[in-house]
Amino acid sequence: MGEWVATATHRQTRTFLPPADFCPLCPTKPGGFPTEIPEPTYDIVAFENRFPSLQPEPPTPAVEASELYPVRPGIGVCEVLVYTPHHDSTLAAEPVEQIHQLVQVWTDRFRELSAHEFVEYVFIFENKGEAIGVTLHHPHGQIYAYPFIPPRVERELEQSRAHKAATGRCLLCDILASETTDGRRVVAENASFAAYVPFFARYPYEIHISSTRHLQALTDMGDAEQRDLAAILKTVLVAYDKLFNLSFPYMMVLHQRPSDGGDYDYYHFHIEFYPPLRTATKLKYLAGSESGAGMFINDTLAEDKAAELRAHVVPVVWQTTRAGKTPAATTGGKPGEEGGVD
Amino acid sequence: MQRRQITLEDGRYLIFYTFEEDAAATASPASEEAADDEKASTHDAEPDAESQATEEQQRV
Repeated sequence: MGEWVATATHRQTRTFLPPADFCPLCPTKPGGFPTEIPEPTYDIVAFENRFPSLQPEPPTPAVEASELYPVRPGIGVCEVLVYTPHHDSTLAAEPVEQIHQLVQVWTDRFRELSAHEFVEYVFIFENKGEAIGVTLHHPHGQIYAYPFIPPRVERELEQSRAHKAATGRCLLCDILASETTDGRRVVAENASFAAYVPFFARYPYEIHISSTRHLQALTDMGDAEQRDLAAILKTVLVAYDKLFNLSFPYMMVLHQRPSDGGDYDYYHFHIEFYPPLRTATKLKYLAGSESGAGMFINDTLAEDKAAELRAHVVPVVWQTTRAGKTPAATTGGKPGEEGGVD
Repeated sequence: MQRRQITLEDGRYLIFYTFEEDAAATASPASEEAADDEKASTHDAEPDAESQATEEQQRV
């Protein structure tokens, strides 16, 4: 059907919702349970997944290929990124400085994994909450370095190419200009990024964060943009948690240019959030139309959901600043409004 | 940002990222050397006694 499926039967035995005392992502305390991380503390850690669906030196496929069913080794890299040593934290609860550090780690991982000859796309993401199906509560994200461009990104690339050919402009730049001019779907903005519920939102509380500058990857960002990205992520995450006064489940995905050496100047970096909740207690299920036809039915209007989220935007407070620099402020409301920093 | 990479017993890598403000001022000679070359690893440390891990440091 033109899409690859990874078969990784060893993942059936992976750790599933262990008690906090036996969390494999916590630091290994002296005399304590040996976790994945053999030191008593850390800031941020990246490591190869013990249960990878893709590996740099993959085993021979368990089944033979045929003309009808092509088979290839599952080459690639699967990493786990542990955001903090604090088991009961979340990315939303971490200070913006920690999120800034995570952005720097993301950038380093993107750069390093992109350098592998067999890697064509580096996909950074986080699944948060049991509603999404997480198997470990400790705050963490993942990276899959694929040997091909995955289909959803390929579709975005195709649409971006077509828009560029038709108009001479970047699709995401046009969307961003439209959203910030209109303002009704904007949740927050700062100097380098805007967060908005897209006009074509598939999930009620879907948010996209797009860079103001036309850039393709984390590695294109300067320090100020990395800090602004951390600030707007903090804003979005806090607004999500405040919305229903609970730790908001979501999928967070980073969409960057492929790493296959091609020219993707027409593409535009952004982050997408797909929260499964449509109310505080009801889930948005991917049912027949969504799963079988690929057409989402959204029971809400993006303008209404953006207004709800915007009401929960609070200023981001940096505890530490660079010498002589004013921290980036992130604010909700209409484009151009200034936000204060407490 | 500094990174220190170790190899776990089963061969997987694990990278510690640290962000101490004064890391450069307190860096060891080995890590100062690493700071001169962002791409290359600059030394192989002795394996950690507990993890039997191999180690390399970089400043990026």
